[in-house]
Amino acid sequence: MRAVKFLIYGIPLLLSLLFLGAFWNATQLSTSRKNELTIGSLGEPTKINPILSTDGAASQVESLIFEGLLRYSADLELEPGLAREFALSQTTTFFFASPEFALAARGILLGLADRWAEWTLRDVVADGRELRIDLVQPGLDTSRLIADLLTIEPITIISQVRAELGKDARAMLAAFRVAHPEVDVVREWFDYDAVFEISVLGSGASISKMLEAFLLEQKVETPAVKLLDELNFLAEPVVRFTLRDGVLWQDGVEFTSRDVAFTFWALTDASIGSPRKPDFDLIQSLKTPTPHEVVVTYRKPFSPALGSWTMPIIPAHILEEKPIAWWDEFFHRNPVGLGPFKFAEWKTNEFIRLERNPKYYGGAPWLDAIVIRTLPDPIANRLAFETHQVDYWNVDPWAVKAFQEDPRFDVFSAPAKQYNWVGWNLRLPVFQDLRVRQAFAHAVNVPDMIKYVLYGNGVQSTGIFPPMYWFANPDIEPIPYDPDRARALLDEAGWKVGPDGIRVKDGERLSFKLITNQGNETRKDIATLVQDNLKGIGVDVQVEIYEWAVFISRFVMKQEFESLVLAWTTPPDYDAFQVWHSSQTNADQLNLVGYNSPKVDRLLEQIRQEYDREKIIEMAGQIQRTIYEDQPLLFLYVPDSTSVVWKDTFRIRRPAAGGEWLDTPIEMTKAGWTYYLQWFYRPEYADKLPPAEIATP
Amino acid sequence: MTSFIIRRLLITMVLVFFISIVSFFIITLTPGSPYPWGELDPKISQTVKDNFRKQFHLDEPIWKQYYLNMRGLFSGDLRSIKDGRPVLERIGERLPATLALNVCAIVISLSFGLLIGVYSARNAGRWPDVTLSVFSFAMLALPGFWISYLVIIGITGWFGTPLLGTSSYGTVFPNAASQFLDYAWHLALPASLLALGGIAAQSRYIRASMIETLGEDYIRTARAKGLDEETVSYKHALRNSIRPLITGIGGLLPALIGGSIIIESIFAYPGIGRLGYQAVLERDYPTLIALNFITAALVLLGNLLADILYAAVDPRVRLE
Repeated sequence: MRAVKFLIYGIPLLLSLLFLGAFWNATQLSTSRKNELTIGSLGEPTKINPILSTDGAASQVESLIFEGLLRYSADLELEPGLAREFALSQTTTFFFASPEFALAARGILLGLADRWAEWTLRDVVADGRELRIDLVQPGLDTSRLIADLLTIEPITIISQVRAELGKDARAMLAAFRVAHPEVDVVREWFDYDAVFEISVLGSGASISKMLEAFLLEQKVETPAVKLLDELNFLAEPVVRFTLRDGVLWQDGVEFTSRDVAFTFWALTDASIGSPRKPDFDLIQSLKTPTPHEVVVTYRKPFSPALGSWTMPIIPAHILEEKPIAWWDEFFHRNPVGLGPFKFAEWKTNEFIRLERNPKYYGGAPWLDAIVIRTLPDPIANRLAFETHQVDYWNVDPWAVKAFQEDPRFDVFSAPAKQYNWVGWNLRLPVFQDLRVRQAFAHAVNVPDMIKYVLYGNGVQSTGIFPPMYWFANPDIEPIPYDPDRARALLDEAGWKVGPDGIRVKDGERLSFKLITNQGNETRKDIATLVQDNLKGIGVDVQVEIYEWAVFISRFVMKQEFESLVLAWTTPPDYDAFQVWHSSQTNADQLNLVGYNSPKVDRLLEQIRQEYDREKIIEMAGQIQRTIYEDQPLLFLYVPDSTSVVWKDTFRIRRPAAGGEWLDTPIEMTKAGWTYYLQWFYRPEYADKLPPAEIATP
Repeated sequence: MTSFIIRRLLITMVLVFFISIVSFFIITLTPGSPYPWGELDPKISQTVKDNFRKQFHLDEPIWKQYYLNMRGLFSGDLRSIKDGRPVLERIGERLPATLALNVCAIVISLSFGLLIGVYSARNAGRWPDVTLSVFSFAMLALPGFWISYLVIIGITGWFGTPLLGTSSYGTVFPNAASQFLDYAWHLALPASLLALGGIAAQSRYIRASMIETLGEDYIRTARAKGLDEETVSYKHALRNSIRPLITGIGGLLPALIGGSIIIESIFAYPGIGRLGYQAVLERDYPTLIALNFITAALVLLGNLLADILYAAVDPRVRLE
């Protein structure tokens, strides 16, 4: 019976004692912190490999341990990274009927030596029937000009043909070349083994037909052969990177151009299946003449491609010739990089620990380690911050004010790289009238929306580029809230107020559905406010909310919706082709609302071929203004992203001009407040640092 | 008995097979895709999508996908779509923490359930019983996440002690005992909250069962023999009252490895519940299939175990 009583009373008593002991111990723990920065992250990386992962949690880790040839500066502009410098140029190639013509054409250009500087022309080479000219400034304008001068000699037309086979593209093209030796293929490019694109001398129509017939003969099911273009010349931009000397991987091996070539191979090989591949699809070749030189040749002018070289480089000496399963097993959870921090430990679902890389070429960081803790619950995140278990917290809009008013905290706030909008499906007649869309823009009270949905933490959006980018247009005035103007515009468009207060035109009520996704309270709030505002001008809106996967697959990607609330995240890139070009309006493409403007189409095509900074700013500004004036979307706002840190937890001591050290509080930059993370330190460990000029704000 | 067990095992196997088919279809036919990138990422081309589908056999007919997944599961080679690691390894690495949490929760709920149940039954109708009954019903009715938030906010607000994850991070421990107690603290809190519902339920079962037993003739006989109340309660009545507790153990088998998504998420505790939840959100089919299969098998085995235990503690029950 004693045993029974022990079971009933003893065990609970013992457990209670243990509980109290553990609790007492927890209250006694020292609050002094190690020389580390601890971050709370809602998600956990899937794998740490910059060419494979797409999640934010992984890229946070990757940005600390890997680096790219280029990087973004504090002002979000491209600057040299692992590459000490980079230089652009372009080779333009003309093809002639015979070598004599090429030589004659060269003679013409040599005779115009006085215009070379204006053309940025460096060299002219005749090689058989090819004439290659070397230009400093990539782009099409100069090459077109020269082509016009050369047309007195018979230039051969170059046709670009694309064939989508699904598989065996390489074998099929090889067989085609054997079967038709008369076809002169001067360039070939493969999209995995599924698609090939070739540049062929001669007229495109006949070659396309020949190729299609050949493929049918080879029993390729439904080959899609398409003539892409007919050109007078091939314009192939070249980027030359000169790599830094003495950069070491964290295992001591030197970083060389071999790593870059390997990264490029990995990005484009089917066995690796990198989702980043499309960024590199325009590359014709990547060559490494020396261990410190990389020469990249593009298939056509495409200036946004330069930004893709911020892609971190992965180590060839570890990954080369290993199957992807080996990467998963030995690299993705134990990566070797060359950035300021190196990977130390990963406890699944708990934390990832990165330690200082003492050999970092840019100077070893001050902090001993960065720890990224996985805290999946948003409230738990805040509590972890308040108990000093993590060092900063990304505040929800409603809480920002309380933290700003509390002297114990530093609050860092900046516009996020995104904009929220309501899209009108322009395929529907109702939304095709510009006056109707303008009326909606006047009717929705965006300043109030920012005030009530974001608690004032945001700015009204003025189009497709958020304000922090160098190419954004700063001169666009947001459309003001003006319900009277909205009513007038609707009247003008023929929508008259009907008997039930809802406007009617030709017997049709001005009534439509506004959809958005489940699980995003802000979007629900937006939908409700829009519904209410539009009701005020006699428009009937029904809000419907769907689960994300259903919302995307059934409505958005099929483009079967009337209007919707969504947001676009914008990379530091002025190429908005996929979202705004009229060729991208089919199902599964991203011009969701079906926007079609010949002017914007032309600008979107031109800006991709433009390398001149001033002209890019000019064109991007025009694109932004034209789209804003056309109002295919009701541009709402750019929300702020806000972080809060305990006051004086960290300071920055970073190198300044003239070999001095500059000591400042944490600075906000366009690239965020953690831009100088490498130079963060905890004041209690300041004695380890070199003496510095203390900057006073 | 042996033939009963063999027969039941065979039926269990057939059932698991059918459950695996049904759950496979539910998992794979749910809208959404396991693509690692966002559906609206402008930078993903069609060839990249096709290549991804080929890599993970998503382009095969659905019956073949089922076959490939099951073959992978049994050969141990089934890999997560998310990180390419074998799913059994992913489940295995979370097993120690999950077992620690769930064993702890089960011990707490059984021991406190027994204590409260016996105490209430012996004081049936008086104020301690009424108080404990109200407490039990409250614990059964209130949502666990709500209580958890209150507890966390209370503790961090008043005492400022760290309580997320499996240990306090970034602090320097004075000695090993302190580190062990810290580990215990991080385990005790989620385990207690996880056990609250169990305590409430167990105590109600035992209370009811014990009150019933105390009314039996043989108890009256024992009292009439002049045995003291303690002996009557603990020696005679208790033995027949803990039947629901023992047979309930079978039902606990799946709970050992199944986790609590909510408690684990709130406490950032690295358990299997979170793995499953994450897999649902990411549409990581292989991980979901493996977890479903294991859970289904454990539920069925738990039922079998409950039947066997029932026969073992109650000689009136025969297994045919």
